[in-house]
Amino acid sequence: MYLRDRIKQDAAFQYVVQSLELMSPVGQRRLMSQAFCRDADALQHEWDNLERVLPLLRDTAHAQTLVDLRHQLMCLHDIQGTLAQLREHQTLTEVDLYELKHLAYLTHVMRRDISQMGLETVVDLPKLGDVFALLDPDNTGIDNFYIYDSYDPALAPMRKELRRLQSDDNTGDDAERQQALCDLLDRHDAIQQQVIARLSAQLTTHAATLQEALETAGYCDLLLAKAQQAADWQLCRPQLGDHVALRGLVHPQLFQQHQSQGLRYQPVDIALRSGVCLITGANMAGKTVLLKALGCAQLMAQYGLFVAAETATLPLVDDVVSCIGDDQDALQGLSSFAAEILRISTNLQRSRSERLLLLIDEPARTTNPVEGCAIVRSLATLLNGQAGFALVTTHYSGLGVDCQRLRVRGFDETLSQQPINAQSINQFIDYSLVEDHSDTAPHEALRIAELLGCDTELIQKAKASL
Amino acid sequence: MPFVEKILPYRSLSIVGMEKNTGKTVCLNYLLRRLHERGVAVAVTSIGIDGEQVDSVYATAKPEITLYEGTHFITSEQHYRQRRLVSRIVDVDRQHTALGSLVTAEVLCRGKVILSGAATTEKLRRQIDELEARGIPLTLVDGALSRLSLASPTITDAMVLATGAAVSVNLQQLVSKTRFVCSLVRLPAVEPALRDKLSRLTSGVWCIDDDGVCHDTGFASALLVGSHVADLFRQGRRLFLSGVLSDRLLRQIATLPHVEEITLIARDFTKLFITPETYADYHRRGGQLAVLQQSQLTAVCFNPTSPQGFRLDSQRACATLSEALGLPVYDVKMI
Repeated sequence: MYLRDRIKQDAAFQYVVQSLELMSPVGQRRLMSQAFCRDADALQHEWDNLERVLPLLRDTAHAQTLVDLRHQLMCLHDIQGTLAQLREHQTLTEVDLYELKHLAYLTHVMRRDISQMGLETVVDLPKLGDVFALLDPDNTGIDNFYIYDSYDPALAPMRKELRRLQSDDNTGDDAERQQALCDLLDRHDAIQQQVIARLSAQLTTHAATLQEALETAGYCDLLLAKAQQAADWQLCRPQLGDHVALRGLVHPQLFQQHQSQGLRYQPVDIALRSGVCLITGANMAGKTVLLKALGCAQLMAQYGLFVAAETATLPLVDDVVSCIGDDQDALQGLSSFAAEILRISTNLQRSRSERLLLLIDEPARTTNPVEGCAIVRSLATLLNGQAGFALVTTHYSGLGVDCQRLRVRGFDETLSQQPINAQSINQFIDYSLVEDHSDTAPHEALRIAELLGCDTELIQKAKASL
Repeated sequence: MPFVEKILPYRSLSIVGMEKNTGKTVCLNYLLRRLHERGVAVAVTSIGIDGEQVDSVYATAKPEITLYEGTHFITSEQHYRQRRLVSRIVDVDRQHTALGSLVTAEVLCRGKVILSGAATTEKLRRQIDELEARGIPLTLVDGALSRLSLASPTITDAMVLATGAAVSVNLQQLVSKTRFVCSLVRLPAVEPALRDKLSRLTSGVWCIDDDGVCHDTGFASALLVGSHVADLFRQGRRLFLSGVLSDRLLRQIATLPHVEEITLIARDFTKLFITPETYADYHRRGGQLAVLQQSQLTAVCFNPTSPQGFRLDSQRACATLSEALGLPVYDVKMI
């Protein structure tokens, strides 16, 4: 799936992508057309490139070169239309020729900056000296463009005559002069057109190199943006393995928000074997955020980014699929249960032939607990035999499935000195995970409702009826 | 060589026509010629589309814009292709307008061109900055006073207003209409601190209290106020309209008690859709108008010929206008 479609489905990942500071529309296009990568070598290569760039961002010796390079990238135009015309042997316009010269010029300057930073092997911009020379017959060395006199011997005398006819000293018959001027301009424009046609034909052979330069420059933009984000957010390079092991995993958006507000954010460690893992924990214990953070980390890795954790080992999967939140689709006339169970069913079927990272948040919570429990038990049993990874959160106890279980430590009154209320309750939650060998989910719903200051009669009655 | 000296100290100058056929283009051509003769490097651009060979409303022949060697100009890609001069492209802005990219070029061999330009004020401002960065001290803006345009010519430092028989063939009416527009152009600008605060407000109607704090009145537009006019002034006596001030609203505000304490603030004079009569009434009762952006009105150009062929006595008209406006007035055909 292309990144442009993926970000529509995953808000956490969308935030990561939108935070990339790209300088050029070409970089933006390259980013959006990235595919979900299942090729270990390609990913390692991409991460190698990121690791090559990262130290340069911190090196003050390269600060000015980086500023210059970013400035060149800002000047980069996405001229795919012009290049397509060139490939199809169409005659360009003067503005198109300017654009080609501009690209050749920028490529030349960026090649210099890139080689100064020793990144030639990472960003291998082709040489466009021939293109530039063709469009700079007077060796001006700048990216301005017009149909220079030297392109055709007829141009200089014509332009001289144009100036003479229009000069203030010329006091001949006005109508006659206007006619002569008009004729001369027409002949002048015809010659310019011949030159443009000739140049277009000559440039056709360079179409592929020009395209390569444009794409490589776009890649350079993307790589710099990714590296800058990795440095700013302190992301880590993932290792590829056959299991999930993340230390200090964070949800990037929540983490950035908490940091900017000076709030505590507790990173989480998690290790998963293939098959299913059931996650239990009190309400408000961050189970859903955990699923989103894990999904986001996997997506970041397989779209060639570093991930938001201290250390990360991740498997390569065929896809990341989440069933999180209320899937009720009023337009399709489905209830929340119907939409959810259909989505789970589809992905269960996919998991038989594909290696998925499947993230399911509290399945079957909207139906009666007896059947709900049975559905979760069967789902967990079926997923447990698969090659992929499934993370399922639940409040149901007594599922009796022999699989990995993790529990969020949850509410701990000793964590803060503040009075406990709806605003401060997050400060009292320990979000860390522990291996859980029991088959019972925590029963803390009433306690949390009480701490949140819910109606006392409701809580007392509920307690009495337990 | 009238008024060329007066505009030299400015960084940007717009030429704004009160109506079509008021001689804006003749005036621009005059300035371009004189500045060229003095060896002043200038750039020229436009708001929206201008410089058609034939006036599209009255189908009268329209003078084209003539550019001289060394002049920079900005126009759309489409109009660049139609140019009748030799020029060198120095930049292309690919944020597309309806007519393609905007091309910045330098004239190598004089000739004629159709100008079109930025559609938004922000873009126009950036263009002027970029031209200055290229070492061009003065940018002329062919500023169509089209109220449909989002870009306002008032971001330029100075302004020349073009008036003429096209506005009215009755000299008295012409004077009174021109005087009214001049009085709007010359409305005072609010203090810089408040201007910076208000220019960030892109929508709604805001009441400013005595401490300079802006309160949202809850009306998305001044056109939606209806009969709740008094509600607008709950927190203060100054009101900022991010959009337009309609004649109807001004009439209603003029009837409020304490109108003499009220100041209405518009973005610039092009956002005032008011008639001279209503403004006079409001002003007589003591109400004030102010703007965020004011450009210095340096001169008025006058075209004695109306598109229908009427011709006013130029000398008398110029003298009457000049006296009424307190500004030099020049006949575009005689300068």
